[in-house]
Amino acid sequence: MALKLPSHPQLARVHDRNLSVAANGFGVFSWRRSVVSDSPSLSLSSSAGRRYTKPVVKCTAKIQATGAVNLAPGTPVRPTSILVVGATGTLGRQIVRRALDEGYDVRCLVRPRPAPADFLRDWGAVVVNADLSRPETIPATLVGIHTVIDCATGRPEEPIKTVDWEGKVALIQCAKAMGIQKYVFYSIHNCEKHPEVPLMEIKYCTEKFLRDSGLNHIIIRLCGFMQGLIGQYAVPILEEKSVWGTDAPTRIAYMDTQDIARLTFIALRNENINGKLLTFAGPRAWTTQEVITLCERLAGQDANVTTVPVSILRLTRQLTRFFEWTNDVADRLAFSEVLTSDTVFSVPMGETYDVLGVDPKDVVTLEKYLQDYFTNILKKLKDLKAQSKQTDIYF
Amino acid sequence: MSATASATRPSFSNSSVYQYSKCRLSSELLAFVSFPNTNWDNRIPSCINSRRCCTSRGHNSRLLLVPRAGASNTSKDSKSDNAQNDNENDDDRDEKRQVQKQQLTQPSVSLSLDDVNPVGLGRRSRQLFDEVWRKFSGLGQISRTIRTDDKEALDALLIREGPLCEFAIPGAQNTTVLVVGATSRIGRIVVRKLMLRGYIVKALVRKADQDVVDMLPRSVEIVMGDVGDPATLKAAVEGCNKIIYCATARSAITGDLFRVDHRGVYNLSKAFQDYNNKLAQLRAGKSSKSKLSIAKFNSADSLNGWEVRQGTYFEDVVATKYDGGMDANFEFTESGDAVFSGYVFTRGGYVELSRKLSLPLGSTLDRYEGLVLSVGGNGRSYVLILEAGPSADPSQSKLYFARISTKVGFCRVRVPFSSFRPVKPDDPALDPFLVHTFTIRFEPRRQRPAEGHAAKKQDLRSFKLILEYIKALPTGQETDFVLVSCSGLGIEPSRREQVLKAKRAGEDSLRRSGLGYTIIRPGPLKEEPGGQRALIFDQGNRISQGISCADVADICVKALHDSTARNKSFDVCYEYVAEEGRELYELVAHLPDKANNYLTPALSVLEKNT
Repeated sequence: MALKLPSHPQLARVHDRNLSVAANGFGVFSWRRSVVSDSPSLSLSSSAGRRYTKPVVKCTAKIQATGAVNLAPGTPVRPTSILVVGATGTLGRQIVRRALDEGYDVRCLVRPRPAPADFLRDWGAVVVNADLSRPETIPATLVGIHTVIDCATGRPEEPIKTVDWEGKVALIQCAKAMGIQKYVFYSIHNCEKHPEVPLMEIKYCTEKFLRDSGLNHIIIRLCGFMQGLIGQYAVPILEEKSVWGTDAPTRIAYMDTQDIARLTFIALRNENINGKLLTFAGPRAWTTQEVITLCERLAGQDANVTTVPVSILRLTRQLTRFFEWTNDVADRLAFSEVLTSDTVFSVPMGETYDVLGVDPKDVVTLEKYLQDYFTNILKKLKDLKAQSKQTDIYF
Repeated sequence: MSATASATRPSFSNSSVYQYSKCRLSSELLAFVSFPNTNWDNRIPSCINSRRCCTSRGHNSRLLLVPRAGASNTSKDSKSDNAQNDNENDDDRDEKRQVQKQQLTQPSVSLSLDDVNPVGLGRRSRQLFDEVWRKFSGLGQISRTIRTDDKEALDALLIREGPLCEFAIPGAQNTTVLVVGATSRIGRIVVRKLMLRGYIVKALVRKADQDVVDMLPRSVEIVMGDVGDPATLKAAVEGCNKIIYCATARSAITGDLFRVDHRGVYNLSKAFQDYNNKLAQLRAGKSSKSKLSIAKFNSADSLNGWEVRQGTYFEDVVATKYDGGMDANFEFTESGDAVFSGYVFTRGGYVELSRKLSLPLGSTLDRYEGLVLSVGGNGRSYVLILEAGPSADPSQSKLYFARISTKVGFCRVRVPFSSFRPVKPDDPALDPFLVHTFTIRFEPRRQRPAEGHAAKKQDLRSFKLILEYIKALPTGQETDFVLVSCSGLGIEPSRREQVLKAKRAGEDSLRRSGLGYTIIRPGPLKEEPGGQRALIFDQGNRISQGISCADVADICVKALHDSTARNKSFDVCYEYVAEEGRELYELVAHLPDKANNYLTPALSVLEKNT
C-alpha cells in the first residue's frame, strides 16, 4: 500500500498514523476489501458501441455490510478536523477559507496534478493527494478526520461517471467504514425531477446512496452560484465582448458561495440538522435576461447580447448524442432540458433561516454582489489584462 | 437567428470534438511532461491528429512542431488572444465562418506573411471555434465552475486580491506580522487568519523541525530564534510591522515561565523597539518614529532654566525636629556630564530638579507616547512629575507622577505618559497636550539597594544622577504588539500564583516598552470553531467562562488595525448565560459575524492603560 502512495510528506504522515490505527485493532484490510473488491455497479452504459444509447443511470450500488466499525478508545478524533473534497472548486475554496477562519483544521483532498493548488497551502490547509477515481487512494486521507465536506464535481471535460458516481460511492463507503462522523454532500436543487440530466440523476442517486449508508450526514441542495455569473456575463460585458444568453424562462436563485459556506458551517454544528436535506437558494430568482440587464446597468455599458433559443440547444444535444465521442458534449448540454422545462430554481428560505438561526439580511443579494464586483474588480481586471499582455509571447 | 444557427449545425460535431481535444491537450500535455508513466500518453496522439485535421488542412508537413507550442501557449494567453481578436469577434457567426473559411482555403490570397503562417491561421481559427463553442455550451449550464482559461485571472481576483471576499483588509499586503508561538493552539489559527487576509507572516520557531514546518503554511517565513535569547530576536523583528505573541511556557517550572512569559515578552518588545528606533534614525528625524528632543545636556548652557528645589512631605513640627538636612545641586562637570547629586537625610524630605518645557514650534506632546530618559548614576529610583494645565493659568495645573528606577551605570528609561497617575486621585487622566513643566524628584523612601558589593555600603539617602537627554517617544494609531496572556482561570490552583506572576510581569514589561500594545487575557481555551457565541470583554478579573481558540485568534487579528485596541488590556470569554435578574455584566459584544466588527464597540468602553 505504501508503494501506491505518492511520496508526499503530508500523506506519509497520514499514512503512519493509519498504521498506528491499524495496530489498535482497526480492520484496515477489511475496509479495503469492501471498497475495492465489490465495486458498485452503476449501469451507465458508455461503452455501448458507436451508437450512443440514452444514458440510463440506475442506482444499484449496495451498501456493503461493513464489519463493525471499531470505536474502541484510542486518540479521539478532534471535532475540528475536517476533510474538504473538491477544495479547488468555486465552492470548495470558499468552504476551505471559511473553515480555516473559523478555526477548523482543514485537510483538502486534491487530485495529484502538475500545477498544485498552492493557495490552499498558503492559507494553512493541509493538502493531500488522492483521486476519487482511484478508490485505493482514498482511505489514507480519511484518517483522523471527523467531518467530510464533499463539494467535488467532475470537471466539464471529463466523463461524468468516474468522479461523480464511482468516486463518490467509493468515498462514502470509505467514510462509512472508517467511522467518519459527519458527511456533508452538495447536490443540485430539483435533482429528482430531472433524471434525463446525467449530473442531476447522479446527484440524486448519490443522495439516496448516502441516506442508505447510515452515515450521519447533511445533504445541501444548491441552485446556482453568483460566482459563475462573473465569467459568464460580467467579464464579457466589461470587455465589450458578446454575451450569449438564452431566451429560457427559467429562473435561478443565485447564491454567493461565501454565504453557502457560512450557512454550511452553521448547519454542520447544529446537531438537529443531522440527516436532513436542506436547500440553499439565493434571495431572488433571476432569468438570464434579467442578469444581463443588471450587469449592463452596473457596468454602465450595453451588452452585446446574442440570444440563442433553447430549442437550438436541445437540437444540438440531440445531434451530439448520436456519436460516442461527443457524448460528453451532450452531457454538458443536458441542462438545456432543464432550461426548457420552465422551472423556477428557487425555494423559500424562511424555514431554513429559522432552523439555522440566520438573519436573512446577512445573505448577499445578487445586486449587492455584482455591484461590489463592478466597483472593485473593474480596475483590477484592467491592470491584470495590461499585465498579461506584456508578458505574452507570440510564436 | 435560426438561419445562422442552422448554418452552423453541419460543422458542429467537428468543432465540438476539436474544442474537446484542445481542453485535454493543453492540460494533459503538461501532465504528460511530468508524469510520463501515466496512461495519458495514448490519448495525446489522437488529440493532436484531430486538432491538426480541423485547423490546418494541407499543411501537415510544416506543422510537425506546432501542437506542443500551440498547446502550451493556449493555456497561458488564450485570454489575451481573445482580446486580440475582439474586433473580429462579431456576433454574426456566418461572417465568422466565412472569414475562417477564407483563411483556411485561400491563405495565399492574403498579403502579409503573418496571414500565410499556418500556425497563426490554425490558432486563430481555433480561437474562433473555441469562443463560439464555449459560449454556446455555456448556455446549457445552470451554473458551473469557472472556465479553465480565466481561472488564473479569477483566482487572482477572488483569492489573492480578494476584493470580493469578506476577509480583505486594506493594507494587509504591506504589513508583516511576526507570530511568536505559531504552532500553539491559538498561534496556528492566527497564522491561518493572517494568511487568509493577505498579510505577510513571519513565524518565530525554536527549531525548524519537519513537524513544525509542516504545521505552517508554506509561504510563511520561518525565523529561528528563542524569545529567551535576545540575540536571536534581532533577525526575527527585522522588517516586521507588528507582533502577535501567543507563546506560552510549556511547563509551570519557574525557569520556563520566567524565560517565556516574562523575559520573553521583555526581550521581544525591546528588540522590536530597538528596530523601530533604528529605522527612525535611518530616516533622520523625519519618520513618524522619530523622537522629539525635550532636553539635551551636552553643555554648561544647557543647564540653564533647570531649577533645584527641596521640600518635605510632612509639614508638622516633629519632622523638622529630626531634620537631618538635605542638599542637592545640578552642575556640568569637567568630564562633560550634567550631574544632579546630593543627599536627603530629612525624614519625608525630597529634592527635585524642575524646568518649564519649551517645545519646538509646531510640536505638541499629545503626538507622543511617553518620555525616554538617558541617565546614569548610582541606581536610585526617582519620581517623575509632570505639571499639566492651561499655560495661562498656573493655578489650574494638576500634578501627575510616575516612578522610575535606574541602574548603576547608564541606562535608558522609557516612561509612557500612560503610566503617570494624578497626584490627587480625583483628577482626570494626564493629557500630554497640556504638560508644561517637567520635574525629576529624588526621595529616600522606597529605595532599594542596587546590586553589587560596592552599592551595599552606600547610604540609600544619597544619590547621583547623570542626565544625558530627555526625549518624547512618538505615538502611533495602532497596536504594535498583541500579547495573549491568561486570565488565570483553568490553571491548577497550586500553580496559578506562579503562572500569573510571570504573565503579569511580562505584561508589565510590555506596557513599559512604549510600544502600542493590546493584552488579551482569555478564559480557559476550548478547541472548537469560533464565531458561535457572544463574547464578553471585561477588565478586572470577573470572567468565568471559557473561550474558543479561534475567537482569541480572531481578536488578535482584528486588534492589529483597531485604534481602540491600542494600549488596552482586557479579559475575554464567552458570554455567561445568567439566570434572569442575576446578570453581572453588561453585554458588550455581539455574535462575531462577517459584517460586524464586534471588537471596536466592545473595546471602546474599556479603559486604556490599565
